[in-house]
Amino acid sequence: MDQIAPWEVWIRATALHAFVQQQEPWLWPLMQSLHYVGGSLLLGTVGLFDLRLLGMAKGVSPAAMHKLIRFGIAGWCLNLMLGIVFFFGHPDQYFYNNSFRLKMLFMTVAGLNILAFYGTDAFVQMKKLPAGAAATTRMKVIAAISLSMWVAILMCGRLITFFRPPFFH
Amino acid sequence: MDPFFAWIENSWLSDWIRGSESLLAFPGIITLHALGLGILAGGSAAIDFRVLGVAPGVSLKAMARFLPVLWTAFVVNAISGTLLLIAYPTKALTNWLFYVKLGLVALAVGLIYRIGVTVLRVPQADEKPVAAPAKLLALASLAAWLAVILAGRFLAYTHKWEMLGVPAIL
Repeated sequence: MDQIAPWEVWIRATALHAFVQQQEPWLWPLMQSLHYVGGSLLLGTVGLFDLRLLGMAKGVSPAAMHKLIRFGIAGWCLNLMLGIVFFFGHPDQYFYNNSFRLKMLFMTVAGLNILAFYGTDAFVQMKKLPAGAAATTRMKVIAAISLSMWVAILMCGRLITFFRPPFFH
Repeated sequence: MDPFFAWIENSWLSDWIRGSESLLAFPGIITLHALGLGILAGGSAAIDFRVLGVAPGVSLKAMARFLPVLWTAFVVNAISGTLLLIAYPTKALTNWLFYVKLGLVALAVGLIYRIGVTVLRVPQADEKPVAAPAKLLALASLAAWLAVILAGRFLAYTHKWEMLGVPAIL
């Protein structure tokens, strides 16, 4: 890719891009660590909640356990912000990267799945589910999609480095 | 080079993990390792938050049923970690941070195991409020996992820094 796209030229002119490039040796591993913390919070809270709906630890009340999801949401917000900083630091390494693109695709599926959960009465039904009770098939399908998407998103994130484009801007 | 490290590095397994074009070699192993820690650290954090008082309606005893997921992730990481060590023995074993990480992993795994035995899997777990020492264990667990993640990530960079010299690169 010899021609740099206008959006990339713009990103490379920002102060944020300059800052990341300048501070990269310590900033990059620190941001990666925090990005990993955010992902772990998401996988740990949302993932275990999904497992409960899928039938594991049935003695846990889903409505009560849902209060843990806030840490997953906080982790996701942290990761969105860090992700933007990563992208501004090395736009080409992410944009021209199939692992990154797959990650964004899975994120879209996860987002639509969240809409299918909170936007329909699946969420209302979940809140009525007592400890010990099995989730409905619809809840289980949503939980299975959620769990597999977040796992896939973490894996794609780790694999980004192996799918770097063969050029540098 | 240390003859023992050289012996490992010359094995077919080490050679395959480092040199193979297959996604199942180094990329796949390190991805499994990242997934395993995500489940282990994140799952522990979810339990720690409950012990600290978030989501009080969740039965501690029932929460213990998630522990086998964490132990499975730990086994996956012990195996994938050993494979990564076989791929780059010198790089890891000559780096002091590797031993720090190993110690932190032992501490973090020990803490969540202790929380399982002394906080979740006790007869009256859900009958009285969580005691202060148990909350302290949960806080220590959160801190230990944070430290494991930082050590794990910086492990990939400190090797580079040692090769190039930290002041030169910073």
